[in-house]
Amino acid sequence: MATEKRDKEEEEVKTDDGSLKIKPRPIVQLGIFLVAHSPVFSVVFSAAGVLALLILPLLAKNTYISENALMPGSARSMLSNRDVSDGSKLVKDIKNYRLNHEGQGVEVQKLIGKYMSEMGAEVYYQKFHPEGNQFHPLHFFSGPDSYTLLDNVSCASYGVNVAGIIRAPRGDGKESIVLVTPYDFINGGDYEALSLGITGTLFSLLARVTWLSKDIIWLVADSRYGDYRPVAAWLTEYHSPSFKDSDLLKCGELNTADKFRRAGTMAAALVLKVDGRSERFEDTLSIYAEASNGQMPNLDLINVVNYLAVHRQGFYVKVEKVVSLLSSSWLKIIGEIFEAVGKLAHTLNPDWNFGIPTADYLEGSATLASSLYSQALGIPTGPHGAFRDYQVDAITLKVSPRFPPDSKTRQHDFFLRGAKLLEGTIRSVNNLLEKFHQSFFLYLLTSPSKFISVGVYMIAFALLVASLPMVAASLYIDGCKALNNSTLNPAGNFKSWKWLDAAKQVFALHLFGLIVTLLPYFICQVPGQHSPSNRSIMWGTTSSSLLLITFATIPGCSPFSSRRHGTNWAVLKSVTISAAFIGLCLMSIINFATAEIGALLLVPTCLIVQPIKPALRSRRIKSLLGAFCSMVLLTIGFPVMLFAISKGLFGEGLVGLSLGGEFWTWLESLWAWKSATYLYIGMVHLPCWLLCLCILFHPS
Amino acid sequence: MADVGGDMAEKELEKPTYGFWIWAMASVILRLFFIFYFPENFKLSSRPEVSTPLTSVRRLAEGYWLKQSSMSPYAGSMYHGSPLLLSVLGPLTSQWIEGQSSHHLCSLVFVFADILSALLLRAIGQKLQKTYSMNLKRLGVLRSSGDRGILPCGDIAALVYLWNPYTILSCVGLSTSPIENLAVIVSLYGAVTRRVPLAAFGLITATHLSLYPASLAIPLILLLGYGLDAHPLKNFLHTRDRGVETGSTSDVSKQDKLTRTTQLPFLWRTVLHFVFWVLVLSICVLVLCSLSLKQYGGLEEMFKRTYSFILNIEDLSPNIGVFWYFFAEAFESSRNYLLIVFNLYILLTSLPPLAFRFKHRPCFLAFAYLVMSSIIKSYPSGGDAALYLSLWALFVNELSDMNNLFFILCGHIGVSLLSPVVHNIWIWRGTGNANFYYGNAMGYVCFQFMFVEESVNAMLDHDKALEKATGKMTKN
Repeated sequence: MATEKRDKEEEEVKTDDGSLKIKPRPIVQLGIFLVAHSPVFSVVFSAAGVLALLILPLLAKNTYISENALMPGSARSMLSNRDVSDGSKLVKDIKNYRLNHEGQGVEVQKLIGKYMSEMGAEVYYQKFHPEGNQFHPLHFFSGPDSYTLLDNVSCASYGVNVAGIIRAPRGDGKESIVLVTPYDFINGGDYEALSLGITGTLFSLLARVTWLSKDIIWLVADSRYGDYRPVAAWLTEYHSPSFKDSDLLKCGELNTADKFRRAGTMAAALVLKVDGRSERFEDTLSIYAEASNGQMPNLDLINVVNYLAVHRQGFYVKVEKVVSLLSSSWLKIIGEIFEAVGKLAHTLNPDWNFGIPTADYLEGSATLASSLYSQALGIPTGPHGAFRDYQVDAITLKVSPRFPPDSKTRQHDFFLRGAKLLEGTIRSVNNLLEKFHQSFFLYLLTSPSKFISVGVYMIAFALLVASLPMVAASLYIDGCKALNNSTLNPAGNFKSWKWLDAAKQVFALHLFGLIVTLLPYFICQVPGQHSPSNRSIMWGTTSSSLLLITFATIPGCSPFSSRRHGTNWAVLKSVTISAAFIGLCLMSIINFATAEIGALLLVPTCLIVQPIKPALRSRRIKSLLGAFCSMVLLTIGFPVMLFAISKGLFGEGLVGLSLGGEFWTWLESLWAWKSATYLYIGMVHLPCWLLCLCILFHPS
Repeated sequence: MADVGGDMAEKELEKPTYGFWIWAMASVILRLFFIFYFPENFKLSSRPEVSTPLTSVRRLAEGYWLKQSSMSPYAGSMYHGSPLLLSVLGPLTSQWIEGQSSHHLCSLVFVFADILSALLLRAIGQKLQKTYSMNLKRLGVLRSSGDRGILPCGDIAALVYLWNPYTILSCVGLSTSPIENLAVIVSLYGAVTRRVPLAAFGLITATHLSLYPASLAIPLILLLGYGLDAHPLKNFLHTRDRGVETGSTSDVSKQDKLTRTTQLPFLWRTVLHFVFWVLVLSICVLVLCSLSLKQYGGLEEMFKRTYSFILNIEDLSPNIGVFWYFFAEAFESSRNYLLIVFNLYILLTSLPPLAFRFKHRPCFLAFAYLVMSSIIKSYPSGGDAALYLSLWALFVNELSDMNNLFFILCGHIGVSLLSPVVHNIWIWRGTGNANFYYGNAMGYVCFQFMFVEESVNAMLDHDKALEKATGKMTKN
């Protein structure tokens, strides 16, 4: 915004230049210089933005534990073999029961509940209803919604969570730490049962230790309907109790009315999952941290887990990465170039140590890409996402043991190490006096022990969008000049109103974008069962007819209207770019990753687009090339096209006719998870794309 | 999105007049739609951009409830508004339309207030437009009366008021600012149409409701004393000279008329009439207030809980102004000093200079005062912006050469959209902090300031340009 201000200030001075010979201030002069050479600078800035993005893995810093109170690994573990045998017994009991009994009941839950109460915990059961997808377009701006009970609850499908609370001997019951183990009580595999074993072992220890100052809640979430839903349902019940008796409570044999217990505010939450066998020699621990809308837990939580897992328990810790990038040749070349530059710099000055080996660079970029992608999607990567809605820091730990699930001997060791890791983490969190606040909330990970903070990654984005206000200002000046020359304005003196027509068009198309964004809500209300592709066809037809109506009713809005109504394309482009700039800046605050990826697409399109007719008429190579580029960028920029291309890139193959359906399903997942990315696509990307299309076919 | 709606409306105005009524009706329908179908969980009425401690209807309902249970409405620092407004609006908050759980009746009152304000603005605008074109004709700048250059500023202002997102939000979002705005507009309307009691009534009501409109007394007195917005006297003298030089009979008669208008210096009688009415009405208001608060501490309590609450900046919950943060940080010992400095700052730096510079344009002066008070108010809200933006639209003809309008518009839109986002990041997600929100508030204030600065500059330029034009004519 500061740049734009500068640019406009300059513009004012420039118009005054003729009459008043005041020498402008240096900053204004700089602005004039930038705007006057805006084509060059826009290319330079955009290229620098892309380069800065590529350089990010080099700039990653090592993580460090910022909060002193945490003191990870300073205390000796108190886990004993007795605890482990308790945990093993629990797993054995569950397995035996599952072998002998089939069916729906809640016996497994009761088994776990019995185990918990034997340890001395307060146990309760919670029933929840697996909700369908709901459309919350504006959910982002409101807080977590209060739990609305469905009126027509059927007893046909519901899940039952078990939770046990250990009251801390040194606590006052106002703070708690949550452990979550999702377990499918009906179809859960052997690996899943191991997670119960680890937590059971830990629970047995925590029930008798004296150092606890925060209550421990162990939630065994019924993951029959996905991991996320039971945790979210439990959290809503925890934070916003409903005072109306739900029909759900009376379902089945288990009566859960008036039994819900609480244990104060949550300091942190750990979700533990065990799945699959590790491909490596060591046990593998994957950390998942992304919650909805690219929110991350405090970096300290990840640091503590990473520190304990690597330095104490010898896990191989990893975060997700885009595997296909590891083998991409172009990235490898870039990595080699950076390595060579780094070496060269090191020879010039031994203090310059920014070069990293190509392999590290590849690894870092692949992790960074995955981090960006999952943040940009805005969909939580695990049940920990539900906690973030209540400002609780949470991560999911997915452990893959290196042994097959039935090996008894290895299991003992595995339980011991897993429980020790959790014990150490809980002990650290237990030490906290305040909630996590010391370390970063806004960061991207390039490896479990390396991160890029907001101050660094914002530079890439800022460089990318910096060219927008510059070009907007220069186009605005050009457009106003052109208008002054070409038309004799009847009002005579309405110099500063030239942009009004263009603003009207931009506003109309943004309004259209808003309506298109809200349309799926009404399409979902259409009675009857429709396949996703039918729905997408409905959506497509209604939006395109709406677009036609917009073009028809508002004169001057359509790219195909006569020349008299049409606005000057330079002014239109200037207003479009301003709108895109505002949209991108807003989005960068809501969800940085979405804005970064959106800017990579939108900025070049907005900068390069020009009316195609004069280019075709002139037949000069340069203008033809420009027209071709803008055509290509606009084709890529269409959201559906983009979706197809990204599917192709991720190796899932182009899907032809069912594309519409898949696109619909993808968008449905976005709004079901309340992702602001959906709003961005509908209200910033789509209107700007349409406006660029209008400029491309502008009749000038 | 702040003003684009208004701009759309502006464009429509070049069509015949029934366009105005269509757009006005559409805005009313939009309001009704929002009132009855707005998603509940959006909690518009608790957003700091919409309702402040002074204007929130939820607080008013609380005050009414306290009064019904025979306690002081000001108990517990919930309600800080006028006791008379409580008596008028209070019963509506407890009346529920069957099946609806919120204060829909109140919202309907606000819709009505908005319509009334728009109609009054339109009347003011028509009056201003007439004088503007008459003045131009007298100066000889404008030859034919049917010149296309003059926009119907009354219609534009009314539609800008009706379609401004700020107005719509504060109307739908249960804030009493539509009523406060109506009072201000009534006072201006009274002064423009020279209905002195009405002007005094509007001024007293507005001051009683939110204190800051008291500064409007200066423009109102100027308006009643000097008449509607015109150009500086010098121009008229120029034209008179020209009349003398040419010496033709028709010009002489015109010159007589001109001399009469220009030599009317200041209508002391009207102004005294106005002052008299102001005194009478303020005594009436005070008596009514003391009657309604007889059991609960009387006038003293009211002054303490309303005006002193405004001037002392007691409520430090975040709003779109700049004071809450400052006074949350300030040390308790220096608080009084800072309060005096800030309140005097408003009085001394903004009011007198503008009054001297714009005594020939009292309506514009009123606009400038309203922007200034919205910038340095203790509890500003979107409703204030709604009011001054529509008053600004009254001067589209004069301000057509305003610089940087596009940039200011973009800034306003950006800041207005950023505000809920930053608030969300601070309050709900916990990843931001108060500095984010305060930074946004500072940005908002900067843009408001740029807006008033550019408007004032454009108005001065306009006067200068007219002077030049008439000067050239006299030379020729």
